[in-house]
Order: sequence, then structure tokens, then C-alpha cells
Amino acid sequence: MSADYGHDNHDHHASPWGPHDWSHGAPHNSFAPLIMSAGFAMFLYGFAHVFIGGDVADLGALSGVMLGLIIITMGLLVWWRQDMSADGVYEPKATGAPFRNIDIRKVSMWIFLMSEMMVFTSLFSTYIRYRLGIQNCGDVFLSGEWVEGTSVVCFEPAAHLIASSWFHLAPGAVNTFALIISSFTIVLALKTAKMSDKKYADKYEIDMESVQKHRSRKVAMFLGSTLFLATLFLTLKMIEWFIGFPTPGPLTDLNHGHSEIASLYTEGYTIHANSYQHYAYDTSYHDGHEIPHDSALYSMMQAGTHPGGVMMADIRVGASTFFVTTGTHGVHVLAGMIGLSYMTFKGLRGGYGPSNAVSIEYFGLYWHFVDLVWVLVFPFFYLF
Amino acid sequence: MKQNTLLRTLVLLTVLGLALSMAPQADSLPNGIIGQSEKGCTCHGAIPDSGVTPSIEGLPATFNASTTYTLTISFTGGPSGQSGDPHNLGGFNLAVSSGILEAVDDTVKIDADQATHNGIDDDLDGNGIQDAIEAGGAAIVSGNDYTSWLVNWTSPSSGSSTFTLAVNSVNGDGQASADDAWNLMAITVAGPSTGAAAEELQSADPFVVLVTLIIVSAFLLATVILYTFYRVSPDGFNWESFAPWIIEWLTSTDHKKVGTLYFLAGFFFLGVGGIMALLIRIQLAVPGNDFLTQDQYNAFFTMHGTTMIFLAAMPLINGLANWLIPLQIGAHDLALPRINAMSFWLQPFAAILIFTGVFSGQAADVGWTGYAPYIVSETAHTGTTLWVAGQIMLVASSTLTGINFLATICGMRAPGMGWMQMPLFTWSIFIANLMLFLSIPAWGVGLIQVYLDRTIGTAFYHVASGGDPLLWSHLFWYFGHPEVYVVIVPAFGVISEVLATSARRSVFGYRSMVYAMAGIGVVAFIVYGHHMFTSGMSPTLRFVTMLTTMLVAVPTGIKIFNWLKTMHKGSLVYRTHTLWALGFLVTFTLGGISGMFFPSLAMDTHLHETYFVVAHFHYVFVGGTVFGVFSAVYYWFPKMSGRMMDEKWGLLHFLTGFISFNGIFWPMHKLGVLGMARRHHTWFITTDDYANIPAEMASWNLFITACAFLFFFSNFILVGNIIKTIVSGKKAPADPWGGWSFEWMCSSPPPTPSFDPHNPPVLRDANEHIASEPSRLAKWFEGLMMAEEDDSEVSH
Repeated sequence: MSADYGHDNHDHHASPWGPHDWSHGAPHNSFAPLIMSAGFAMFLYGFAHVFIGGDVADLGALSGVMLGLIIITMGLLVWWRQDMSADGVYEPKATGAPFRNIDIRKVSMWIFLMSEMMVFTSLFSTYIRYRLGIQNCGDVFLSGEWVEGTSVVCFEPAAHLIASSWFHLAPGAVNTFALIISSFTIVLALKTAKMSDKKYADKYEIDMESVQKHRSRKVAMFLGSTLFLATLFLTLKMIEWFIGFPTPGPLTDLNHGHSEIASLYTEGYTIHANSYQHYAYDTSYHDGHEIPHDSALYSMMQAGTHPGGVMMADIRVGASTFFVTTGTHGVHVLAGMIGLSYMTFKGLRGGYGPSNAVSIEYFGLYWHFVDLVWVLVFPFFYLF
Repeated sequence: MKQNTLLRTLVLLTVLGLALSMAPQADSLPNGIIGQSEKGCTCHGAIPDSGVTPSIEGLPATFNASTTYTLTISFTGGPSGQSGDPHNLGGFNLAVSSGILEAVDDTVKIDADQATHNGIDDDLDGNGIQDAIEAGGAAIVSGNDYTSWLVNWTSPSSGSSTFTLAVNSVNGDGQASADDAWNLMAITVAGPSTGAAAEELQSADPFVVLVTLIIVSAFLLATVILYTFYRVSPDGFNWESFAPWIIEWLTSTDHKKVGTLYFLAGFFFLGVGGIMALLIRIQLAVPGNDFLTQDQYNAFFTMHGTTMIFLAAMPLINGLANWLIPLQIGAHDLALPRINAMSFWLQPFAAILIFTGVFSGQAADVGWTGYAPYIVSETAHTGTTLWVAGQIMLVASSTLTGINFLATICGMRAPGMGWMQMPLFTWSIFIANLMLFLSIPAWGVGLIQVYLDRTIGTAFYHVASGGDPLLWSHLFWYFGHPEVYVVIVPAFGVISEVLATSARRSVFGYRSMVYAMAGIGVVAFIVYGHHMFTSGMSPTLRFVTMLTTMLVAVPTGIKIFNWLKTMHKGSLVYRTHTLWALGFLVTFTLGGISGMFFPSLAMDTHLHETYFVVAHFHYVFVGGTVFGVFSAVYYWFPKMSGRMMDEKWGLLHFLTGFISFNGIFWPMHKLGVLGMARRHHTWFITTDDYANIPAEMASWNLFITACAFLFFFSNFILVGNIIKTIVSGKKAPADPWGGWSFEWMCSSPPPTPSFDPHNPPVLRDANEHIASEPSRLAKWFEGLMMAEEDDSEVSH
């Protein structure tokens, strides 16, 4: 069946492992898709055996997860090995209206962002459904329709906890600026890479011979800064979610006398929190901070029909929407970091110049999108 | 030529006649008793009657040695006794080949090692009061005042025992009369397996059957691959030449090779899904069948649906699209060839994950819709988690496919080919991918939520914590409804190409065809609520989606009429692909009409969850998509392989396939209206007032099962035809059918790259659709998007 068309007409027959000679067009063979697909399957298979129904079922299966990640990385390395030599010689352009003369890669990237938009739309739909559809924990507390010792189902926005103190908000606030600055640094990388040799030499007052070396260092620096800011973002996220942060002496007083910024985990705000307690939902705490006098809880306690106490809440749905939506965004940052580490490496080896600077631009499209999503996630999940 | 037509007509009529004559026979299968002289109670009538149903309860599947079992003997049917009189209702006789029978109470006596009712007529004076009571004593129990009796049976130490039970139903007047009737049954119970001699055959576990068949199919597939390799290089049948050949296939990014891989995977899983359909049909062939347990049945229909939609239909469509889109628009390959290979390779690995549960006997049992909250519950099979994981990979694959095809069709059309000069198949793939691409992320997010619910324990769909099952339904059907159009719209494209070529004229109403498909693409997103009419969704939304769903009929109707009009002034050539296209027109229209019952809220409430729904979606899915794919295979196979397929085999495939397909699904409409519920592992004939399921269902179900086997095996004609064609088909010319679009301009099979990337073909009215003047809107939009030719700097 394949006898007549089994082989391509080109003289060269590049290795499916790379590196690739792009002057002959795109790679015709690659092991990367096969390897990466196997890795994804291995990862999902292992993960489903480590955790079952919220419990750690089999830590031994973690080796499967690790194996999956290693296989994916191997596939990526093959892919990159083929891409490393892409120097802009091969850059197919669209021929049909309405995208004539626009790089195919650019068209593809915009189309890809269309589906990314739908991903976050769906996550926000979930959030809106639950935020508006389930009673807010604060409202339940003030309505007095709870008794101490029994959990009530209600929606506790993470923002209630996070925005309650500048110290909780600090990681998210810093992250916002980190991402916005990283969007700027990626544009600087593009600008540096795209400038023609002559203009570059004029601008930095160097001779033409040293342009390439100077430029590689500079491009790599900007890409590296972007990578650093992305790493900072995820580090702060881990601090905010799991680790917490010790507050130095003078700040302890400001932080209600606590010597550390508690993570969401230590505050008990987790996806398994079916009996979440918080000082805001404690009537004795409210002796100092008055319960609003127009609330049902106040009247009931005055009339002696409500004994007061600590309200326990099942906040699993609210916590799930928070962690999964911000987590999905975090995974996008991680994906960007993986791409950036390759690009920084390539930039360092002088891989980017005016002929292929568009690669940075197209990555930048994705990176700006991730930034934009954060600009929406931050107010909805951290402030409001 | 004329003789040929006559022959075909004759064959068609013969097969049709055979099928028609089979239907009534299946309807009146007799199951009465012939030649039985043992009547159980010797004092009553001699009419064996299938209306009297004997039964023995309390028998184990296999008995243990020397154990006493209490058996309940009873019967239903026959005359019911004189009005209100419990006397003299019936009798029985139970004989057993080994073991000992004992009476439990006075209603039964043992006579010559056989148990029978203890019939005492203690009313000799006939005044209706027992003589014993008249004499002042206690009442005597009479065994023929009952319709059920208890008997103790002590089993033998080994061997098997055969029970022969005869029962009598009498009318209660104590006299032998004409309406008294009897019937008999025999049942054999296997004994304990003590050593090799006593070993009995165990009934097969259907999962083992399925796994075995999958492995056998995979083995056959591997054999075919090896044989193909042997044909390619008969002299070098060794590892040294096999390794580079197989590596070429594993690593290729050429759209034609990836397309062929899609076809291989698609046909393989079409077979696997078909095997599951057959297992389901065996289970449903007779009432009260126990071939599959409830659990297994749930898993089987889940895997059947998932396999057919995601692992058979989608890869087959992608196979066609991969092969044809670059050829039709004059591109040398797809926009992103490596991404294309990635979208393919995600699929087999996803399939492995989806099928993981099958190999452990714990396959997902949540339906292809995976409704929450069952999908996150602990009682769902453990295979569900990996089923979800596999689906996540398929979502990734579809997203990559979407990027690729949208970018290719938007950006890589040959110079001169405007949007309105694109072949209709390309249009259909464009619209299908656009729909898929915009809808599948919603489902992907839902799947990730479910995967996390089932693994790390998030609570998106845990009702106890406030999770909302309807949210899942919304996310799923927001994708699920466009998805059903994603699998049908490419078939529209195929039929447009095939009918136009076969009618030897350009398709009627090209522009309206495009707008109709685009209209379907838009409407797809606002109708999904009709899947949730009975779910408790907002009544306002129900009303809105009712109206929008009815709207779907408009663009679809336009397409049907355009196809008819294409044939009307054309001169039709009856090739196999034409036949499948005509078959598609019939079955798809029928499926469309049955679909129009569902938008109506009241009808939907009545018909939902019945076999009417099953009939409808198989008519559009098999009669639409699969017939379309078959038509496409016959139409483009010469282009793909360079060899002509056998038309005689094709005709046979069409006749058997088309007739048996209708034999399967047409009666299901009737079953659905009669009230047979889908997703139930078995069904019973009942005359209960509220769930009246008439006896004719039994014959129809048996008929459907017979047709299902016929349909399954008819498709091996296609497989045989493909193998025969590859081995010894006639060489195909570049344009065997007289098509106009670009793919017919390159050789069969096409070279690689398909067209010279530096010198692409130019549209010279290749598909003579309409004058190629772009509209004012298109010009304005292009002006807006046009990039400058030179590589000027970004920094100004």
C-alpha cells in the first residue's frame, strides 16, 4: 500500500531524534509526539493510583508519576533538539485571505489562544455558578441558622481570608506585579532580538563584529528575567498555599502578633475542609468585633434563642474552585517556564536574531495571555 | 451496462424480499410443547398451552453435595379459577433424575419418588364446605387449592440433576374442562466439581470474551501490518529493513501517513466497538437474559459509546481530513505537521487508558455522558478514573487537531482559492473543527474537575458539599451537542462531493450549502439544553432550547433539498460510493425526522430514555456518519492507494450493510414507543397495567440481534475488499470518477510533499463553484488583516 509513496522526495533524510536542517523545510519525522503521548498517559495513570478519592492510596505509584514526567521531558528534549536549529529560514506564510502574508505560526498561536479563552471561561462559569448559587458563609453566620458542632454547607471565597489582611494578600499582590513586569521583559527580549545589526551597533555604540555576542547576552538576559519572574510567581504561590512565611520582628506586631504569614493550608482553607473554622465565624471573637446589630444572629443572641459559639463550615466547593482555577493558571505559568528555559538556553547560544525573533513574539502572545488571565483571576479570587 | 443494472436491481429485490419475509417469521416464533404425555395432574385437560408458565425458584446455579434446598414451584397464566373461588386452582408434578424429594407441608405428597400436589377432595357432598369441618374437625389442606408449593430437595453427592416439572392450571370447578391447560419445563443443575471427571463448563465472563476478542483483533491487525510490509518488500523481510519501515510510520509527520494511521486506528476501534455492541445485543436478545450482569452491562454500553464516538468516528473523520484537506486546497502539508502527529499519537495512548478498566473487569460504567454525581461516586467502577484520564488526552488531541486544521484552511489555500471556492468537504471540516475547537475546552475543564474529584478529592460534584450535578451536564452538553454535529458535518461534506461527482454536475446551491453548514455550526451552541429537558433545568431555558432545536431542521433541510436537486438535473452514475451516499440520504433523513420529535417538550418527556432515542441517534450516527465515511472510503480509496476497489464486493457490502442496518434500528423506534427503556440490562414481558410491555417485543428484539450480527459481519466485506485491492487491485488513474477538485489533479497515490511548496497549484476554476469575486465585506476584512510584505522592524 505504501510502496509508491513511502518516502519523501528530498535527498536528505533527517533523523527523527534531531537535530534538523530547517533549510529543507519542517521535520518530516519525529519521535517526540510518540514519546510525549506515552509520557502523558504514564503520568495520568500513575497519578490516578497515588490518590484515590482524596486519600493517598499508594505512594509507590509516585514512581509512575515521576517516570511519566521523565518520559515527557525526554520527548520535549527531542522536540527542542529539532527546533534548536530553527533560524527563520523556514517560516511558512499564510496564502489565503484574510491572513495573507502572516506567518502560519502566528495564525496558529491566535487560534490556540481562542481555546485557552474557552478553558478559563469554563472555569469562571464554574466559579460563578457556585459563588452565586451557594449561600455565602458570612451570610449563613449572620443569619444564625447554624449550631455549634454541626457543619453547614456554604461558599467561603478565598478572598475573605486573603483580603482580610495585608500579609495574606502580599504574595498575590507581588505576583501581579511580577507577571506584569515579565510581560514587559519578554517584549524587551523581542525588541532586542528584532533590531537590525546596524541599528543595534549604532544604539550600543559597538562594532558590527561584536553585535551577535552582545545581542545573545542581552536577549538571554531578558528571557532569563522573564523566567526568573515566572519562577518567583510560582514560589510565592507555594508560599501562599502551603508553606507560609515568617514575619520579621517589627512586622509581627502589625500581623496581630503572629510571627508568620500563615499559608492557606495552615489556615485550614483546603479542598478537604468539611469542618472549616475561622475566627470570623466565632461569636466570642465578635465580642471584640461587634456582630452587626441588624443581623438575625445578633437579635437571636440578644433574645437568647441562639447560644452562639463557633460555626463550622463545609467549604470544599469554594476551596476547589479557588485552588483549581488559580492552579490551572499556575500550570500555564509552569508551561511558560518550560518554554522559557528552552528559549533562554537557545538565546544564550546566539539562537535569536532579526530573522527569527518572531519566535519570541509568538511565545510572547501566549505569555501576555497568561498575564491577562491573572489580571482577571486576581480580583475575582483574591480581592472580591 | 444495462444488464448490470438489471442484475443489481434483482439482487437488491431478492435481499429486500428475504429481509421482509424474515421479519414476520421472527414475530411468530412458537414456543409451545409438542409430544409431551406427562400431564402432572391426570384428571385435567389435555391442552398444552404456552400461556401457562411453570417456574422453580431456589435452585442454585451449581448444587453442593448432599445439601437440602427448598424449592418453590409455581406457575402463572391459564384459567384463573371461578370468580373468587380459591378451590381447585391447579396441580403439578415434579420429577428429578437424582437426589431425594421431600414434602414440606401437607399441600405436597411424594408418589413414586416424584412430588405432586396433595389433591384431597374432602367435599363429597358438593356443598362447598369440607366434610371434615362439617364433622366438627379442623380443615384439611388441599394441594390443588394453590398455584405455588414448597418442596425440599436433597442433592446427590455428584453429577448433575435434571428437573422435569409439569403444571396444570384449571378453572376451579373441580371438573376436567376444555379451558384447563398445562405446560412443562425442564431444567438441569450442575453438581459440585469434584475432580476432573465432574468438571462442568463454566459460563464465560463477558469481559474475558471482550478482552480476548480485542487481543485477537490486535493480533490480526499486526498480521495485516506485517503482511503489508511483506508485500512492500518481499525480498527484505527481516528486521534490518523492517525497523526503518516501522520507525518511518511511528515518526512520520506526513499528512498522508498520519491519515492512514488514523484510518487503521479508526477501523480497529470500529471493530472493537462493534464487538461490544454484539455482546449488548446478545444480552438483549431474549427477555430476562443473564448473559451480562447489570454491572457488566453498564460498563459495556459505556465503553461502546465512548469507543464508537471518540475512538472510531473521530479518528475516521480525522483520517479523511488529514488525507484530503491539504490535497483539496493545494497545500503541500498541514500547517503544523509535528503537532498533527502529536494529535494522532495521543489517541492510541488515550485508548489504552480508557480500556485499562476493561482488562481488570472494572471498566467505566457511567455512560458516555458520565453524568455527575455518579461519575465521582465511590460506587462507580475504579476504571472510571482512567476513563476520564483518557478522555482528557483525547481533548488535548482534538484541541491540537483544531488548531492545525483551522490554521491550514485559513492560511494555506492555493492562490486564487477564496473562501467560496473551497470544496465543500473542506468547508465541512473547517466548520466541524471550529465547533469542536470552541466547545471541547468546556468539557476538558469538566473532565479535569472530575479527575481531581476522583483523585485528590476536590468537591466540584460532591452533592453533600454543595456540588451541582447539573453543572456537569451543562459543561458536558455544551460540548456534547456540537460534538454530534462535529461527527455529522464532515459526512455532509463527503456526500456533497460524492453526489456532485456522481451526478456529473456541480453541486446545486453551493453558497446555500456553505451557509447551511455555517448555520448548523452557530445553532449547535444554543440547542444543547434539549439533552436536559427532564433534568430539572430552568423552564425558561427549556423553552428557548426547544425553539432553537427546531431551528436545526432548517439548514439541514436546505442541504437535503440541495442534494436532491443536484441529482435532479444530473445524470447519476451508480458507483459504490454513490450507493452509500444515496443510502445516507435515506437513513439520515429518517434520523432527522425522528430527531424532530425530541425538541417538543411533551414528546421528549414521553420518549426520553427509551429505545426511540437509541434508534434516532444510531440513524444519524451510523446512517449518517458511518455511511458517509464508507462512501468516502470507496470514493477516495483509489486516490489514497492508487488502486481501484472491487465494485461487486462494494455492492454486496452496501446491500447487506444497508438492509441489516435498517433491520437493527428501525424496529427500535417501535420498541421505544412501546416503552422499552434504554440503559437497562434486561427487560421483561409484562401485562402490568402501567408498564405494559407486549409479547411481540420478544420477537423484535431477537430480530434486531440477528440483524446486528449480519451488520457486523457485512463490514468484513469492506475489510476484505481493502485487502484484496491492496494486493491485486487494478491501477487507478489520477481522476477515476471525474472529480474537479485539486486532489484529482495529482497522481494516485499523491507524491510527498503533495504539492510543490514553492510552486503551489493555482485555482483555475477547479471546482467551478461560482465566480471568484470576493465580497465587499471580505475585501474590507482582508485589508484590515493584511500584513506588509517586507520584514520591517518592530521598533518604530
